[in-house]
Amino acid sequence: MATITLSNVSKDYGGGPVLRGMDLEIREGEFVALMGPSGCGKSTLLRLIAGLEEPSGGEIRIDGRRVNEVAPKDRDLAMVFQSYALYPHMTVRENMSFALKQRRLPPAEIKAAVEAAASKLGLTGLLERKPKALSGGQRQRVAMGRAIVRNPKAFLFDEPLSNLDARLREQMRYEIRKLHRELGATSVYVTHDQVEAMTMADRIVALNDGAIQQVGSPQDLYDNPANLFVAGFLGSPPMNFLDATLAPEGALVVEGQTLAHVSPPAGLAAGTTLTLGLRPERLALTDPTEGTAVRVDVVETTGTGRVVHLALGPQRLKLFTMDPRPLAPGDVVGLVAPPGAPLLFDPVSGARLS
Amino acid sequence: MNRTLALKLEPYFYTAPSLLLIAAIMLVPLVTGLSYAFHDLILLDPLSGDFVGLDHFREMLDDDGFWTALRNTVVWTAVSVALQFTFGLVLALLLNRPFPARGLVQALVFLPWAVPGFLSGLTWAWLFNPVIGPLPHWLHGLGLLATPENILSDPRLALWGPIAANVWWGIPFFAITLLAALQSIPKDIYEAAAMDGAGPLLRFRRVTLPLLAPTIAITVMLRTVWVANFAELIVVMTKGGPADATQILSSYIFTLAFQRLDFGYASAVAAVLLLLLLAYAAAVMVLRHAMTERP
Repeated sequence: MATITLSNVSKDYGGGPVLRGMDLEIREGEFVALMGPSGCGKSTLLRLIAGLEEPSGGEIRIDGRRVNEVAPKDRDLAMVFQSYALYPHMTVRENMSFALKQRRLPPAEIKAAVEAAASKLGLTGLLERKPKALSGGQRQRVAMGRAIVRNPKAFLFDEPLSNLDARLREQMRYEIRKLHRELGATSVYVTHDQVEAMTMADRIVALNDGAIQQVGSPQDLYDNPANLFVAGFLGSPPMNFLDATLAPEGALVVEGQTLAHVSPPAGLAAGTTLTLGLRPERLALTDPTEGTAVRVDVVETTGTGRVVHLALGPQRLKLFTMDPRPLAPGDVVGLVAPPGAPLLFDPVSGARLS
Repeated sequence: MNRTLALKLEPYFYTAPSLLLIAAIMLVPLVTGLSYAFHDLILLDPLSGDFVGLDHFREMLDDDGFWTALRNTVVWTAVSVALQFTFGLVLALLLNRPFPARGLVQALVFLPWAVPGFLSGLTWAWLFNPVIGPLPHWLHGLGLLATPENILSDPRLALWGPIAANVWWGIPFFAITLLAALQSIPKDIYEAAAMDGAGPLLRFRRVTLPLLAPTIAITVMLRTVWVANFAELIVVMTKGGPADATQILSSYIFTLAFQRLDFGYASAVAAVLLLLLLAYAAAVMVLRHAMTERP
């Protein structure tokens, strides 16, 4: 178990910065998700921690020790790769023993460690097989097993579930989470999948364009996104963003209709245009006479409820509802945004205003 | 005709043209050549051509030229292939890491392969000639030769001349094939090994070599058969001499057939060479199978 500290870490491959001045403290035993779209620098950051790349600037410390110049093999970190990177010429047992053999542990100890890890992951019957004789899910487990037998200072996961089908992914999400609870080891988990980040992490580090956008618990990021990027990245269906104008007394006007009320943020004059963020599940349907009148465009049934695509003039928004009232495209319905639902953003900088 | 029988025969009709073609261009000459080995066939002797059974093979047992050539074949093949492979692997490893102008260097490195064997034999013969070539003087300067003379005319050293030319000429083949195999090894396997605590040497031994093994087995086998049959350099550089000291089986066959015009005996030696190479190839295949299909 370890703490990992990044101070002002940057990386530049020569074609402009990939990571810019990053500060991050990963606490002992914590499960941290590095989340962002592809190209945001999250994998690069993980590889810097692993030692597979060298930072162009700044400092990386593991348990207080500076590791910028330390080779990956001497950092005592375990990594699970997206491709699993199993040794194709070795059996599952040999794959899992490889790191322990490098440390010259006694064979009996290696055998015990490998078999304990295998039984934890349900790999006991597969120990003598080669990777090519395993299914995708089994290979994923071997990759996990190879990491846990080592009892490393920290686990690094590089999108480990992205090659699995949806069902297996959900199961492995649960198993990785359970393993983390049992082992209590510091874990850094790279993903572009907001559901993985939300469900698994103690804290999420939202990354975009090589910079940290926000760090916090999943619920915190969901409820209080710092900017448009974080607000739009988390949640499915994603948050609605509408062009709105602030009217006197905190009324938010969209396409000439008052959609919601907020207590007016300090320093914002009436007439300011801003971006109004509304989560689809925070909105409710009512009769057209009571709420803002909007037109139903498309209705999608999800089983738990319905996602209703609505048109408000030229602007579009989505609403998630479990309301059973009949809805058909073309219907005019009332829309209600309860107090607390609206989030306000600066349309130019994307920063949160309220 | 019975319909089921016709259906059964159908695939054979489709494959028949190719099979006949293969038989005609591969099997017929092979069988003809082998049949010469059991006949007394001397080109300039119109009375020859009788069936002589195993006489040629008995004659071979007492033929010093044959045994010298067999010994030379082993040395020539083993040393050439071993050095070609070693240098080829080193070259492939060097070319596998990025450096400026890598594309150009790669192209240059593969150049010897494009030189005809005949031409490289001539060039190397000149290089070993003390009158026009620098090599004897360099070897003398290094203390490897007592006097700067032509090693091609020294029966004890002459074989090393063609071997040197052969190594130079054959390195690119190993470099190309091993480089291709190296590039097919996923980078993240090395990274996983690095994370698992393996340094560069160990990564080479535990990752690179095992993953190259199938390519190594097949290329070494191919090259061995090829080099054992490769008489061109020897014929050009030493003509098998001095005093047959540098004959290998294939150059000996060439000499027997086209200088002594004894096609019968030459075919018998060729048959022996064929058997030896078949046995070698079979052994390598068994070994490779045993290595890769370990339960």
